[in-house]
Amino acid sequence: MRSVYQKFHRRWQRPFGKLVLLAAAVGLFMAGTVRLQAQMKENPKMMQMIKKMKQKAVAKDYVRAHMKVKNPKKLLGGPIEVTVTQNSGGVFVALPDFRRLDPRIFGTPEMPRAFEGTPGITGLPVFLREVENGQFTKMKKKSPFGDKYIVMANGKLSLKAVDATATDAATTEDQLQFRASWQDKAGNTYEVRANKVAAHGLEFPTFGGVATNVILHGFTGLGTPLMPSEFTYVAFWGMGQVLKNGKVVDGPRLVHGMLTEYVRTEGYKLGFDKDVTPTRLQFHLMVAPFKPDMEHMSYMPAPVKTGFKLPNGMELPFWHVMFENLQISANRK
Amino acid sequence: MKKIALFVLSALMLWVAVVAFAAPGKSKTGHSKVVHITMTNTLKFNPASDTIRVGQTVEWRNTSLLVHTVTCDPKKAAKPEHVALPEGAEPFDSGNMDPDATFRHTFTVPGVYKYFCIPHEAAGMVGEIVVLPAK
Repeated sequence: MRSVYQKFHRRWQRPFGKLVLLAAAVGLFMAGTVRLQAQMKENPKMMQMIKKMKQKAVAKDYVRAHMKVKNPKKLLGGPIEVTVTQNSGGVFVALPDFRRLDPRIFGTPEMPRAFEGTPGITGLPVFLREVENGQFTKMKKKSPFGDKYIVMANGKLSLKAVDATATDAATTEDQLQFRASWQDKAGNTYEVRANKVAAHGLEFPTFGGVATNVILHGFTGLGTPLMPSEFTYVAFWGMGQVLKNGKVVDGPRLVHGMLTEYVRTEGYKLGFDKDVTPTRLQFHLMVAPFKPDMEHMSYMPAPVKTGFKLPNGMELPFWHVMFENLQISANRK
Repeated sequence: MKKIALFVLSALMLWVAVVAFAAPGKSKTGHSKVVHITMTNTLKFNPASDTIRVGQTVEWRNTSLLVHTVTCDPKKAAKPEHVALPEGAEPFDSGNMDPDATFRHTFTVPGVYKYFCIPHEAAGMVGEIVVLPAK
């Protein structure tokens, strides 16, 4: 099977060129992204720091060692086929919010952790963290990862994924068919589709595009540490389209989905590692406000055109949507 | 004149009967047969706690856009502190309730019942019914 990167390279010379995709459940600041970028441009020292942090993404060498492999190893025991569906009920749509910082993940000002990589994708720079009484408390900018949400109606989800290829590589036999939709109060339908997988990552591995039975986020360095560490039954990283009322409003975009243990707490607040509920499951969809930067093997901010207006009139610049009325099945092919 | 008075009196009695029949259940007093609890988009049972008498029925209505459950079964709880059944009481579970769906349960054993919504237990969607002995 030809690499998705090769296909995209021909179709989208740049910046999607080889496309890899990637990425993680991820993301980061939104509402403040443009302003932050402007601040960074005005501040060469900050730009230099960001550049250095991107270079220091801890898994880059691992990805480099795999991304040109043409005949990757198969999953031990054979391919796993997973289907996840939601046929009725609403969804939780995350709104931009200031993420509280788990000291277990982000350390302390004296001994910070998880700061390397593209801010929001694989790390969080110390200068984007509020400090109070000698502890990191929350992000200074809003991100897709917080406690605020709204409920939207008629959530539908259909995921069919095959995890066949074990590691990152130039080619993959992993497969993906993904479609999800939901409706706002006015009756507008929002939809995300994806069917191309990322054979390899940029700042962290994608396991051929589909991964099963791994821990992601949090302490792992696999995806943003703004999400708690969570056992993930199935995850995918791919490219897809964002639609509103049946029309494509953005794409190709990085699309990441994962079925995990439950990471929300009282009041639907996004928990810390200590708050995870292992015996309850939820599905997370993320269309991250980033695009791949192939040249530097990292990511650059790029708000998503969701078509959904926030109460302040601004467009929601990402989709981070949770589905919790799920039917799940899996088997070895 | 007498006919009009009779008509007015009949209409008044009919209205009183209809209102009395349709009135929402009153908690704590045990005056009404059916007590009503709603299930919300903010992941709450409303009211979260209520007191009834043995023999009364509780009706839960899903007024949210989400799918919820009313589950009082220790085997299905993620955390033991979210569920309680008096000795001799049978576990119950509504199964998935789509928006606008209702579920009724009549309580025949006095005691404290703690219940939860399976998908949102971890997000704090838990409730309590205290069932007092019959008068």
